[in-house]
Amino acid sequence: MAALFLRRAGLSLLSLLLVSLVLFVLTRSIPDSPARIVLGEDATAAAMAQFDRDHGLDRPILVQYGSWLKGIVLHGDLGVSFTTGLRMNRQVAATLPVTLELVTVAFAVSIVISLALGTLSAVLRDSVVDYGARLIAVLGVSVPGFWLAIVLILLFAVDRDWFPPGGIAPLATDWREHLRSIVLPSFCLGVFYMAVLTRMTRSNLLDVLGLDYMRTAKASGLRRWRMLTYALRNALVPVVTIAGMSFGHMFGWALIIEQVFNIDGLSRALLNAIQMRDYAMVQAVVMVFTFVFVIANLCADMLNASLNPRLASAA
Amino acid sequence: MTPLLQIDGLYVAFGARDRWREVVRGVDLRIAPGEVVGLVGESGSGKSLTALSIMRLLPPGARVSSGRITFAGTDLATLSNRAVNARRGSDIGMIFQDPLTALNPAIAVGRQIVDSLRTHQELSRKAAWARAIELLDLVGIHRPAERAHAYAHELSGGMRQRVMTALAVCNDPKLLIADEPTTALDVTVQAQVIAMLDRIRRELGIAVLFISHNLDLVAGIVDRVSVMYAGRVVESGEVEDVFDTPRHPYTRQLLRCIPRLDGRTGPMPTIPGLPPRLGTELSGCSFASRCQVAQERCRLEMPPMRRKGGHLSVCWEAPT
Amino acid sequence: MPRFTRRLTNSFGGGSGLLGATIVLILLIAAVGAPWIAPRDPLKVDIINQMQEPGPDFWFGTDQSGRDVLSRIIWGARASISVAAIAVMIGMAGGVSLGLMAGFYRGGWIEQITMRFLEAIAAIPILIWAIALVGIFGVGDAHWGPFTVGSEAKLSALLGVLYIPTLARVTYTTAAVESQAYYVLARRLQGASSPRIIISDVLPNCLSPVIVQGTLLLAIGIVIEASVSFVGLGVQPPTPSWGNMLAEARNYLLSGDWWLSVFPGATISVSVVGFNLLGDGLRDRLDPRHATSALAT
Repeated sequence: MAALFLRRAGLSLLSLLLVSLVLFVLTRSIPDSPARIVLGEDATAAAMAQFDRDHGLDRPILVQYGSWLKGIVLHGDLGVSFTTGLRMNRQVAATLPVTLELVTVAFAVSIVISLALGTLSAVLRDSVVDYGARLIAVLGVSVPGFWLAIVLILLFAVDRDWFPPGGIAPLATDWREHLRSIVLPSFCLGVFYMAVLTRMTRSNLLDVLGLDYMRTAKASGLRRWRMLTYALRNALVPVVTIAGMSFGHMFGWALIIEQVFNIDGLSRALLNAIQMRDYAMVQAVVMVFTFVFVIANLCADMLNASLNPRLASAA
Repeated sequence: MTPLLQIDGLYVAFGARDRWREVVRGVDLRIAPGEVVGLVGESGSGKSLTALSIMRLLPPGARVSSGRITFAGTDLATLSNRAVNARRGSDIGMIFQDPLTALNPAIAVGRQIVDSLRTHQELSRKAAWARAIELLDLVGIHRPAERAHAYAHELSGGMRQRVMTALAVCNDPKLLIADEPTTALDVTVQAQVIAMLDRIRRELGIAVLFISHNLDLVAGIVDRVSVMYAGRVVESGEVEDVFDTPRHPYTRQLLRCIPRLDGRTGPMPTIPGLPPRLGTELSGCSFASRCQVAQERCRLEMPPMRRKGGHLSVCWEAPT
Repeated sequence: MPRFTRRLTNSFGGGSGLLGATIVLILLIAAVGAPWIAPRDPLKVDIINQMQEPGPDFWFGTDQSGRDVLSRIIWGARASISVAAIAVMIGMAGGVSLGLMAGFYRGGWIEQITMRFLEAIAAIPILIWAIALVGIFGVGDAHWGPFTVGSEAKLSALLGVLYIPTLARVTYTTAAVESQAYYVLARRLQGASSPRIIISDVLPNCLSPVIVQGTLLLAIGIVIEASVSFVGLGVQPPTPSWGNMLAEARNYLLSGDWWLSVFPGATISVSVVGFNLLGDGLRDRLDPRHATSALAT
C-alpha cells in the first residue's frame, strides 16, 4: 500500500513538473515579452533590458525555471507577476476559496445523488425508477452546463425570484443568502458529472451482480444488504477513479459557470490575467488547477486501493 | 428412511414469456442423509441446472416449469424466498466450479466465511473469526490464521476450493452440493481436493450431491450415481452396479471412453455424433441418434424405466 | 423497404444511433450549405428590426443589431463543427501514430516516454489547457510568414493537439494487445517489416475504438469551442459561433430576452446529443467490449 502511494505520488509529481516546464517554456517563448507589455510599444531597448534585469528575465531559461520551482516547493510562493507587480499568492488566495467551495459542493452533491440513483437503478432494473434515472442521465450528459445555467437563470431568477441571478453572497454576512446563491451554480456544475457517474454506477453494478461470486454470496444465504455491499466493493472501483478525475475537471468547468453567474472565483483571476497578458499569472493559475487535479486523482487512486486489494498489491 | 433430498419429475426451462425450451426433462433424484450421490453427464446435459434449482439459484431466463423438490420433508416450492434464503448456506451448502471467479476478489476469504457464519448464527465478530480459522484448518489450509486475511487471487486453485468448501460447510449443513468442484483444477490437485471433500463429509456427516462430467472421478467418492443425458436421467444405481453392469448404451459408451493404463493400445474410443441442441423437442429416446444398438421404436417412443433392484435405466434394450 | 431501414438501423448500432446520425447529417448540411440554406445574411445589421421576439418573420428572433438569429445559428454551425472536426482529425493523425508506435514497440523507451508525456498533458482538463493556451497565444490572427492563421484555425489546432493524448491512449491500448497476437508474429515470420505490419495488420484493429472515441470527442469539441468562445477567447465576433452568440446574449439575460440564449444553447445541446448517440451506436456496433470512455474532458 505504501509502495503504491509512493509510486503514484512520484508519477503525480512528475506530471506536475512536466506541465510546469511546458507552461514555463511556452510563456517565455511568446514574442510579447513582459517588458514590452508593461513598458509599452515604444519602449527603448535599454529600458527593456533594464526591466529584464530587474525581474531576472535575462537569465537562462533553466535557471529561471529552477528559481521559480524553488520558490514554489520551498516556500509555496507563486512569485510576483511581472506585469502587475502583485504577489500572485495573494490574488490566488483571494479567489481560490470561492471556486473551491463551489466545486466541492457540486462534487459532494453529485456523488451522493449519483451513487444512490445508480444503485437504485441497477437494483430495480427496468422499473420506473430505472427509466427515470436513465432519462435524467442522458439529459444531464448532453446539456452543456453553462446553457443550463442560462436557462435556469431565466426561469428562476428572472421570471421568478427563487434564486439570485448572480454572485455568491458571502458566508459571513448571511448564511441563508449564501446557500441560496450557491444552489444554481453548483447544480449546473455538477449535473454533467452526476449523469456520468450515475450511468457508470448503474452499468458497473449490473455487470457485477451477474458475476459468479454474487451467486456464491447468494448461495451462502447472505441478506440483501450484505450482498449489495459485496457487489459495490467491486462495482465502485472505476467509479471512484472517474469521480477523482471529475473533481479536477469540475474546476475547469467552474471557470465557465462562474462567468455566467458573475462569481469572483479563479476564473476572474485567470481571465483578467489573459486580458492583461499577465502570463506569469496565467501560468500560476494553471499550476494551481494542475495541482488540485493531481491531488484529486491521487486520493481517488488510494481510495480505490483500499477498496480493492488487488490494486494495492499489483501497484 | 425418509430421503433428505427428493427431486420428482423436475423440468427446467429457458426462455421468456411464451417461448420456453426445456433443458431438464423430468429428472428424479433421491439422496439419503449422509449419502454421497453422483450426478454425471456431459456439458449441456442439465446436471448443473438441476442442482441450481434446488436452492432457487437458477440464472435469469431459467425457471422450474414443473416438478417437486422436497428437502428434509418440506416441499421447497411452498416456501417464500426468505425461507429459502434462510436455508442457503445453513441447511444446504454449495461449491461451484471455478473458485477464482466464485470468491469475491475484494473481500478477504476469512471475512467471507465470517459473514456467512454471522448471517445464520448468533456469533460475535471475534467468535466468528475464530470459527472461520478453525474451518480453514479443517479443510486443510496451512497457517489458517494468516490465510484468513488473504484474498482469493493470492491463493492457489486448490486452496481456493478448500476455502469454498469451508464457506459451504461453515453452518453445518445437512447437504453439500458440489458442482464440478475439481474441473478447473490441475489433475494432481484434483485428487487432493476429492480426498479433502471425502474427509469433511465423513467428519461432519454431510450428504453430498457430487456433479461431474467425469464418471471415473466420481466413482471413487460416491455411493450411488445417476447418469444424465440431454436433460434426462438415463441410468442410476449403486456405483459398483453401474460400473460393473451398465444397463444403458450411453453409460456403456462413457465407460469405454475412460482411458486405461493397462497397456491396451489403439485409438481412443469416442462416442460418435453430438448431443442434441439445448432445448430441442425430442420424441423417443434422446440418445437414439448416437446409440449403437438403437432400434426403430427407440426413435419413436420414449423408453420406459426398467428397474432391477436399485438399478434403474431408461432403455428399450435394458433387460427387464 | 423494411429491410433497407433495418440494415440502416443496424449499421448505426440501433435506433438511437440512427437518430444521432440523422442529427449529425442535418448539422453537416447546415454547416456546408449555410450560404444557401440561411434565410438571411448573418452579418447584416438592421437596427430597425433589433430585438424582435421569435415570430413569422424571424423564426428565432433577432439580436441587438437586428441580425437574424436563425441565420446566425446556421452559419454558426460552420464555426463550431469545423473547429471540432479539424481538431478531431489532427488528434487522430497524431494520436493514432503515437499510439501505434507506443503499442507496437512495447517495453521500449519510446513507449515509456510517449505515454508519460501524454499522461502529463492529460493531467490537466482540456478546457483549462484550451483557455490557458489561447490566452497565451492570443486570440486574433497569427502571422507566420506568408500564412495568416485565423482564430478558428488556431483553436482547432490547439484542440487537435490536446486531443492527441486521448486518441493515443485508445490506440495504444488496442495496439499493445494486438501486437502480441499470434498473427502479428506470423507476419513477422513471413518477413514483413515492422512498419508494414503496423499499418496493414495492427492499425485496422484499432480503428473501431478510435472512430467511436473520435465521435465522442466531436461532441466535446463543440462544447469546448462554445465554452472558449463564451469567455471571448474563441471565435471572434462578428463571425457567428454558437458560443459567442451565447456570450453576447449574456448581457440581455436579465432583461428577459430569452431567445438570444435559448436557441444557440439548444442547438449546442442537440448537436451534443446527436454526436453522443452516434458514438454510442457506433460503439455498440463496432466495439462491443466497451473499451472507450465517453469522459475525456
